[in-house]
Amino acid sequence: MIFDVKKIRYLIVIYLIIMNLVSCGDAAPPDRYRPDVLLGASRLSDLLGADHRSGFPLVLSPRSFEFPADHGPHSEFRNEWWYVTGNLIGPNNALFGYELTFFRFSLTPQITDEKDSAWQTNQVFIAHFAITDVTGDEFHVAQRYSRGGAGLAGANGDPFKVWLDDWSIRQIDQGGDEPIWQLTAHGDGVDGEQFGVELQLSSRKPPILNGIDGLSQKSAEAGNASYYYSLSRLKSEGSVHIGATSYAVSGLSWLDREWGSSALSAEQQGWDWFALQLSDGNELMFYDIRRNDGSSDRHSAGTWIDSTGNPLHLERQDVSINVLDTWVNDRGDVYPAKWQITIPSKDLSLTVTPVLENQELITNVRYWEGAVDVTGSNGNRSVTGRGYVELTGYADR
Amino acid sequence: MSVLTRASLGYLRRHPWQLAQAILGICIGVAVMVAVDIANQSSRNAFVASMETINGDATHQIVGGPGGIDEALYTQLRVQAGIRSIAPIVTGSVLVADRNVQLLGVDVFAEREFRTFSSRVTAASGENARGGNDVETLIRDMLSGSGQVLIAADSVAELEVVVGDKFSLVADGISHTATFAGIPGGEATQQMSGLMVADISDAQRWLNMAGKLSRIDVKVAAGDEDLLSRIRTELPSGIELLSAAGRTQTTAAMSDAFMTNLFAMSLLALLVGVFLIYNSVAFIVLQRRPLIGVLRALGVTQRQIYRLILGEAAVLGFLGALLGVVLGVWLGEKLLVMVARTLSDHYFAVNVTDVSLASMTILKGFIAGLGATIVAAAVPAIEASSYQPSLALTRSVLESKVSSNLSRLCWAGVLFVAVAVLILWLSGRSLGAGLSALFLLILGFALGIPLFLQYMSRALERPAFVLAGTAGRLAVGSVGKSLSRTGVAVIALTIAVSATVGVSVMVESFRGSVSDWLNTTLQSDVYVGVRRGSLDPALMEELIAIPGIAGYSSSRRAWLEDSAGRTRIIATQSNANAPANVRIRDGDPDLAWRELRSGNAVFVSDAYAYRFDVGRGDRVKLNTSTGEVAFEIAAVFQNYDSNDGAILISREVYIRYFNDPQTDSLGLYLEPGVVAQEIMEKLRAVADGRQALIMNSNAKIREFSLQIFDRTFVITNVLYWLAVVVAVIGIFGAMMALQLERTKEIGILRALGMTPGQVGVLVSVQTGFIGLLSGVAAIPLGLMMAWVLIEVINRRAFGWNIDFTVPSTVLFTAVMLAVGSALLAGIYPSWYAARSRPALAMRDE
Repeated sequence: MIFDVKKIRYLIVIYLIIMNLVSCGDAAPPDRYRPDVLLGASRLSDLLGADHRSGFPLVLSPRSFEFPADHGPHSEFRNEWWYVTGNLIGPNNALFGYELTFFRFSLTPQITDEKDSAWQTNQVFIAHFAITDVTGDEFHVAQRYSRGGAGLAGANGDPFKVWLDDWSIRQIDQGGDEPIWQLTAHGDGVDGEQFGVELQLSSRKPPILNGIDGLSQKSAEAGNASYYYSLSRLKSEGSVHIGATSYAVSGLSWLDREWGSSALSAEQQGWDWFALQLSDGNELMFYDIRRNDGSSDRHSAGTWIDSTGNPLHLERQDVSINVLDTWVNDRGDVYPAKWQITIPSKDLSLTVTPVLENQELITNVRYWEGAVDVTGSNGNRSVTGRGYVELTGYADR
Repeated sequence: MSVLTRASLGYLRRHPWQLAQAILGICIGVAVMVAVDIANQSSRNAFVASMETINGDATHQIVGGPGGIDEALYTQLRVQAGIRSIAPIVTGSVLVADRNVQLLGVDVFAEREFRTFSSRVTAASGENARGGNDVETLIRDMLSGSGQVLIAADSVAELEVVVGDKFSLVADGISHTATFAGIPGGEATQQMSGLMVADISDAQRWLNMAGKLSRIDVKVAAGDEDLLSRIRTELPSGIELLSAAGRTQTTAAMSDAFMTNLFAMSLLALLVGVFLIYNSVAFIVLQRRPLIGVLRALGVTQRQIYRLILGEAAVLGFLGALLGVVLGVWLGEKLLVMVARTLSDHYFAVNVTDVSLASMTILKGFIAGLGATIVAAAVPAIEASSYQPSLALTRSVLESKVSSNLSRLCWAGVLFVAVAVLILWLSGRSLGAGLSALFLLILGFALGIPLFLQYMSRALERPAFVLAGTAGRLAVGSVGKSLSRTGVAVIALTIAVSATVGVSVMVESFRGSVSDWLNTTLQSDVYVGVRRGSLDPALMEELIAIPGIAGYSSSRRAWLEDSAGRTRIIATQSNANAPANVRIRDGDPDLAWRELRSGNAVFVSDAYAYRFDVGRGDRVKLNTSTGEVAFEIAAVFQNYDSNDGAILISREVYIRYFNDPQTDSLGLYLEPGVVAQEIMEKLRAVADGRQALIMNSNAKIREFSLQIFDRTFVITNVLYWLAVVVAVIGIFGAMMALQLERTKEIGILRALGMTPGQVGVLVSVQTGFIGLLSGVAAIPLGLMMAWVLIEVINRRAFGWNIDFTVPSTVLFTAVMLAVGSALLAGIYPSWYAARSRPALAMRDE
């Protein structure tokens, strides 16, 4: 997941919308939550102007990462997230994808130390949870939000824990060398169906620092950046629940961690983010920032992670992406739906295909985040893989 | 239009006084009934509506003891148990611009499922507008504990604030700064008068409830027993999951007895109205004796006569009831203010903004009025139809007929009284049965009054002759000889006056008991408390250490709640062995207090003892923070400030079981020679800048308590005065009837040389005599009513234990009232009689 300008915008819009939802109360038709309808263009730029980020620290220079401490929150920054996506396989080759994301926002730069009430806080958490039931051809989504106080939602570095209500990822003591994380989420979908996931995650690779030593620059403006690392290969085992049925599953998950306080560049419209886990032990992460004119922003970037866990930073010009197919949602918004990704320098060529066309999250905003299948070749060897793709800025016009 | 109808219209047109009396009698009766109904319904509806607004979609509520709920329970329910349809609430009363406002502390993130108003802001137009631009800053500010509040629109107008204004808010006697952030959204805001929404963190800070919740709202789909039992398994002992609607109902039901009593009072007014109707219709019938005789002779059937009379009554009843409903609606609004205040004084805060005018109320009043008229008219109608077609009955025949009926009536009255006594004896604790018995008693007694009149009139004829000659004898004697006219008026007046006696004696007895109790209870010299809050413990220590203070007692009043409702608990501490400020009804005070302090013992108030039928040695089970505990009742104590009864417990025991260390008030005993005023100044100096204390001498508290007491009975007074008004109208009508009837007789008297003045005096003496007899008859009836009100009605309704005392002034006043009303009512008839011209009068036939 990337911390690109558009993404910030998207997140801030989510935040505002949720705030507004909280304050508007009723379930209005989705149109109402389109940012332009909701906020008006001038408001958005006002909002993301200097006033709103003043007081928050900016990401200006590289830092040294400390683990597990950095798995925990960095509450002085305005935004932060824990973004887990994964592909699982159950009995009879039943395929599942899942996403569990925790967003953290600081409402004010000040962190109050002296509190008269455990409920008093400047921290707000939002979480999205989705399961793609490939075999059942169903996509389930749920969302939650909470203040980061009174123990209702929060995060901690050591032992690692991030939670909102009873959705959580937390380290459980297994006595082994590698910590094991327990991921738990159960949701009531819009369709009323209950769905859930319980997984134990253990990382096969050390944390990968994206960008330059973990500093991911999003636009030319200083400070318009985030700290960004990933756990690109998390062995996952547990169960998936759809309705009354439970499936024992195993597979791979991916954790993206970013934090920062930066703002938007007006000419950036959205992004396509790829996190692909290949059968030969390599991973590819790449985010393609789209400008308003449809071109690819030069700050688009990615990371190639080899099977031993060594990262290679990728610039825009290192990667080429061709859209092979499109999908049109119920409103007529057109999403790309199949890609050809090549990295000439690595002799890598991959075809990325969504496992289901409709993996659009119609929460307070619309975005597409879904499981994908990968086929192709790495050098002279053919590879397969699974992964996740996020597409923003297509429906939020 | 038939001849009969025309005849009757013509008659009524010539006798507007009779018409007016009948209509007015029924009108006031109906009006009072409708008004009481409106006041009761509106205040109750307002309470239920405001509770429903505040509860929102909550189906259940998790409530704890007086100490509230540990906020960790909420986190546990959400985070560990994964229960999401819950919302935390911290609520309490605060003062803004010296007005009580309910503060509702919420978590906006949990609110969507529950309330439409608490998590949204209405972008009102004008200066209170809060545009979209501010919505996120509002949430941001609310969360970060900066004191942003939403205030209901009507309160905003009263407080005169605009968005962004800072204002001060007093909670627990400590002043805080709040910022008016906007008007809550949604449609339910009309019921939100006196409500303020804040973030839960601010509410905890202001209400001194850090770490605590007032309750947790729960939303459970109908029939989802599974979720309910899942929640119940998570609850620690002393914490209960109750139905939200049930809680509202049990709270509202606390005022049931009060409202039933008001309703009974309104029936009394209607009862007096019924007598008036009877009076009017009977008079109309009597007046038309000759006409009816002629009609019958002309072939009009009994049935037709019966229908005619009843038809007339129905028209009168219809008009009276109609006017009564209109008057009742007007009166209801006035009464509502009083009822709402009484409810707020004694039961629950109610802020009435709307008058609920249920069609049922109107229908009930209308049907009662019309029904009462027809019932009242049935007797004279039957009588009229029984007239022989021969020539009409002469007066003398009629009077002797009435006279022979008197003993039968009297026996019927005795039967009524016997039935009433039987009901009282057998009905146990039923308030309804008690009230029915009371009405039967009144009726039974009333039926004996004509005989009493006849007897008195005969007995006093001679003394009157001795005193005032022929005129005196005429005046007194005629009362007994015109019972068909005067009897019913006397009954009406007697009932009305006896009601004033009964209610006054009851209220005075009650007041006397309360006053005694206040004398006993208010033993300390100075009382210190905090308005709508509790004392800061550290400050309290300093206060009691001030030189000049010899000792102190403290008290904490809280509610214990379970599915059966709420119970008042009073925790006291005193440095005396057997504090004299609690009057023990039974047993040895020293022993009782020793038991109370020893541990598992409590005292219960009279009302509690009656309500739950318990006494010394019995056990009560209380839901404590360590689970249900049985406490032994060490004594029953006198108490008048808790309507549904109270439990008294020693402070140490209370803290141990209820986890609530708060203190509401301190009673300070001063050393001899120390002046209360000086100590109060010292207290104020110590508390300055820390907590706003309310300090009062015992005299002040006594005065204030009695003020509330008196306020409570204002409504009762209004109602019985209305009954008196009805009765005065009755006397007036009866005297008018009598004078019209006796036109010829007076003509003869005038012809025989009586001056107009003498005629006037004659009539006045007559009315005065009627008043006197009513007053005398009203005293035993009134005392009996008082006894029933005290020993039966109040006991059954509230469990009060009142000492029966009869102030002699009440009796004197009753007689004066009766005589005065009668004389007042007789002024016009006297004048009318006096001015009659003998020649004209005698030409009558």
